[in-house]
Amino acid sequence: MMFRGAEAIVESVKWNGQDAISKIRNPRSYRHPTLEKRLVRERMRSEVRIIEKLISNGLAVPSLYSVDIDNSQIIMEFLEGMTLEQALRNKDFEKNLVDTAELLASIHSQGVIHGDPTTSNFIVNEKIHAIDFGLAGISEDDEARASDLRVLLESLDSHHSEISGRDIFLKAYSNWTNSSSVLEALKVLELRGRYNLMRG
Amino acid sequence: MSQVVIGIESTAHTAGVGIITSEGEILSNQQAVYIPEEGGIHPREAANHHTESLPELFRKALKEAKLEPNDISLVSYARGPGLGPCLRTGATAARAFAYSHDIPLLGVNHCVAHLEIGILEGATDPVLLYLSGGNTQVIAYAAGRFRVFGETLDIGIGNGLDKFAREAGMGFPGGPKLEKVAKGPELLDLPYSVKGMDMAFSGLMTAAKSKLDAGHSLESVAFSIQETAFAMSCEVSERALAHTGKKELVLGGGVACNSRLREMAMTMAEERGIRCFVPERALCVDNGVMIAWLGHQMMGADYSISEEDNVVDQKYRTDMVEVTWR
Repeated sequence: MMFRGAEAIVESVKWNGQDAISKIRNPRSYRHPTLEKRLVRERMRSEVRIIEKLISNGLAVPSLYSVDIDNSQIIMEFLEGMTLEQALRNKDFEKNLVDTAELLASIHSQGVIHGDPTTSNFIVNEKIHAIDFGLAGISEDDEARASDLRVLLESLDSHHSEISGRDIFLKAYSNWTNSSSVLEALKVLELRGRYNLMRG
Repeated sequence: MSQVVIGIESTAHTAGVGIITSEGEILSNQQAVYIPEEGGIHPREAANHHTESLPELFRKALKEAKLEPNDISLVSYARGPGLGPCLRTGATAARAFAYSHDIPLLGVNHCVAHLEIGILEGATDPVLLYLSGGNTQVIAYAAGRFRVFGETLDIGIGNGLDKFAREAGMGFPGGPKLEKVAKGPELLDLPYSVKGMDMAFSGLMTAAKSKLDAGHSLESVAFSIQETAFAMSCEVSERALAHTGKKELVLGGGVACNSRLREMAMTMAEERGIRCFVPERALCVDNGVMIAWLGHQMMGADYSISEEDNVVDQKYRTDMVEVTWR
């Protein structure tokens, strides 16, 4: 398996005899070499720090096997299972959405913003795991959290328009004690021009 | 039979009248640019400039195309987004011309016109990196609309360049002047602000000004601004390309005239194995040809003109356009 994203090449590899995922941030030659080096360092450090923080708090994210800043490579656990996107097409629609909402709320409660929580960035096996923290950041800002919710809801809309997962998802997210101000921020965010054809 | 469309552009600095045939042959592309004596664009003064320039631009365009007004089958003009007084001037000129010669009139979206000019260049379904003074967006067609995949969260990239240049004592337009003085290879550390597919430029420009105040040379500050701001724009475009799976990139807007930006975009396209279309400079900046071309495409798809189409809209967003021609 190989996937060429906008930022990295992700492929399955063997690491000490077990299946693993390798993520290499391949250099962009359009960027000035000094800038390129600085960005790769900053982004790898941030990604690794965030994954470690979530692991140490018991959240379901892939384990890290190896981090090699000089070669821009992270090797991490390969998670068996299907993506949330595939899972939602098959079964347990409601349960999977509730679990995803609870996981995202736990991530937020750790002061972490995922940055790109689309339905392709969750893996479903016995439980739900969040993957790809390449755009993640540290923040307790309601708007940043709301922006995570919007990304997730939009990816639900575009892939699963036949069933409304929105209400199920938001209801489960609202069980988190700090959710009310985030849900308020989501309303404001969705009223802004870009996300809504209604303009005030 | 070949039809001929005339397009009127007046969203910001540029008054433009363009004439194009339904086969995509450009018969004329007349432009007149308002340059403020000092400071930034003053909407009313820009509108006055357009009022004075447009009649002459019409005459020149028709003369160059060797056409009479009655040879024109559609008058297309930029409805928005843009500065209110400027938009109204262009719309008034378009209306006057259309009504006095009994020609259908259609208002179109300025941002979408920048994308559709890419079709003239040979693209079929591109991602547009649109960098100008007021607009900084990454646009592509998906599920019935032109969607904004990424955009600036604060100021337009061109406004940022102009503002910095002004504070550094260079006149308007700042972008081309900065391009001329920019000199590497030393890269100063400036904020690189990409959030998902969005970008922010105001912090970058403020930091650049403090570098200048701290004694760094204008040459290396200008170089560092370009390297940082253009890399951000290319990265965001690449994310949109990866996300949509599209294989074509089109550049548009005044800032897309910058040679370094063009070079970076072409390098990125080459590394991804996709095609990059870079319109000639007169078609990258605001122009009447693209407005005429978009009008032609909409009419070709039997678009029916409603009253609403002929009212200017300062906040006419890209994703509000009903797409009937794809």
